[in-house]
Amino acid sequence: MTDVGIEGLPTHSLLGQPLDWAWLQGVESEWGIQPKPSPRGLTMLDIAVGSYGEVPDRPRYRSMAPRGADIDGDTPDMGYILNRKSDVWADNVRELYEEAVARQWSATRDIPWTELPELPSDLEHAMCQVCTTLTEIEMIASDLPAKWMWRMNHDFLEAKMFLCTQIMDEARHAEVFRKRALANGGGLLKSRAGQESLLRTILEARTYTQATALLHLLGEGFILDIFRMGELISPSPVEKKMFRMAMQDEARHVAYGTMHLRYAIEHDPDVAEEIHEALDHGEVVLTDFGTNADFGSALAVLLAGGTDDVETKGFPLQFELTKRQMTSYLARCERAGVSRLERTKIPLDLLGIDVSTIKGAVA
Amino acid sequence: MSERFDSVAFFSALASEMNAHPERFTILGDADMSAAIVMRRAGGDLRVGLRFEGLSCVEVGEVSSEELGHADYQLVGDLDAWDEMFDDIVANGAATGRLTINSLALLGERIVVAGDDPMGLDKFSRFNQTLQEFLDGASRLRGPVTVG
Repeated sequence: MTDVGIEGLPTHSLLGQPLDWAWLQGVESEWGIQPKPSPRGLTMLDIAVGSYGEVPDRPRYRSMAPRGADIDGDTPDMGYILNRKSDVWADNVRELYEEAVARQWSATRDIPWTELPELPSDLEHAMCQVCTTLTEIEMIASDLPAKWMWRMNHDFLEAKMFLCTQIMDEARHAEVFRKRALANGGGLLKSRAGQESLLRTILEARTYTQATALLHLLGEGFILDIFRMGELISPSPVEKKMFRMAMQDEARHVAYGTMHLRYAIEHDPDVAEEIHEALDHGEVVLTDFGTNADFGSALAVLLAGGTDDVETKGFPLQFELTKRQMTSYLARCERAGVSRLERTKIPLDLLGIDVSTIKGAVA
Repeated sequence: MSERFDSVAFFSALASEMNAHPERFTILGDADMSAAIVMRRAGGDLRVGLRFEGLSCVEVGEVSSEELGHADYQLVGDLDAWDEMFDDIVANGAATGRLTINSLALLGERIVVAGDDPMGLDKFSRFNQTLQEFLDGASRLRGPVTVG
């Protein structure tokens, strides 16, 4: 950097404290980078230039000092335990952060609540049950990153920033589903022990990478497909809008998780077995959840348009969609580099899933 | 039905409609993605590449079968499936029921979403409502689209 003269500058503050002008000259950080804004503004991708864009595999410090700054050698250790880039990183994380910021929406303002039609009692009950369960499970995707973020090395700032957006997204999802449960004269219905077991399994994962496999790949992937089918189960444009907006958020989270696991395995192949172990257990718990009596039957009623045709239309369509959910999950695992085709606990034969189609789809 | 949907000119008109009305897309936020639409039809498929940046569709053009893989994802279906989807949009102002692009691709019976790049394929869901709003623009096109 070009040094700035400090001769003649005061040596003490007005209160008598010594002043340090080192920041005006001689720092070791890179000076004069001047990134160029893209058409939409100055993005995190735009400023990932020069040394500021380099994310170390193993950061030198474990402090909150900004990556790229001229850092005191005695900066304190914050107790971070996720200190390898492969512990948290994904190649798409900067892009996903910017996308999340650009595509925020409001559950208060952007859902046409005043257009909710009065629904037949069975449909209102079914929608309220689905929303009760979704309200319950969505916040796991806030609690879990919050549990791990303060243990992540601060050099992985962009990953932490992205997870902050995920936390906000999930707060909004809990908000929108709670609002829907109450908005049309219904209310919150059954909460079962089974789904709490699923949430506890995710929350208590031993490592962050295991937690990501359970949350982003398995849990959020499963919920993403529920949101995608939201258009099929929505009795009115209000629910359609709600599911469509939530779907886009959820897809970002799944995109991070998939690419994080891929990055982790590429840089530390041993972690694959750790992920498999988590998924061995997670798949069993998730299958129990997916087929639970409340959530599953409420979905079937919505798919059938009421209880009258639930047996002839609702359950068969739900079965087909479950098959697609599991197929999507297995394909995501392939993309993440953790093939489950030979190891999965999902009853592929029972569901009629042809493994060769998954292999072909991701080839 | 006055419009032909299986033409590059039609998709160019959709792009012009999007670019003339960014306010429709502001609520959805910026979108950066490329998509390839494949309409299977007698006499040769139509393959159209679309590129979106921010609140705009910045590129529309016919692509070769070899170039399909350059897109983040491909949407592939027989022309009659696409016709039914666009007819519904024109009739109702926006896609309805199971004729939204998300539902069509989810059911996967008539239009499928495909792609080799996992990060690209994700974008179909991440930017789904931007793509839907773009396609819904068919309802706002005035008169027949000139096929050049």
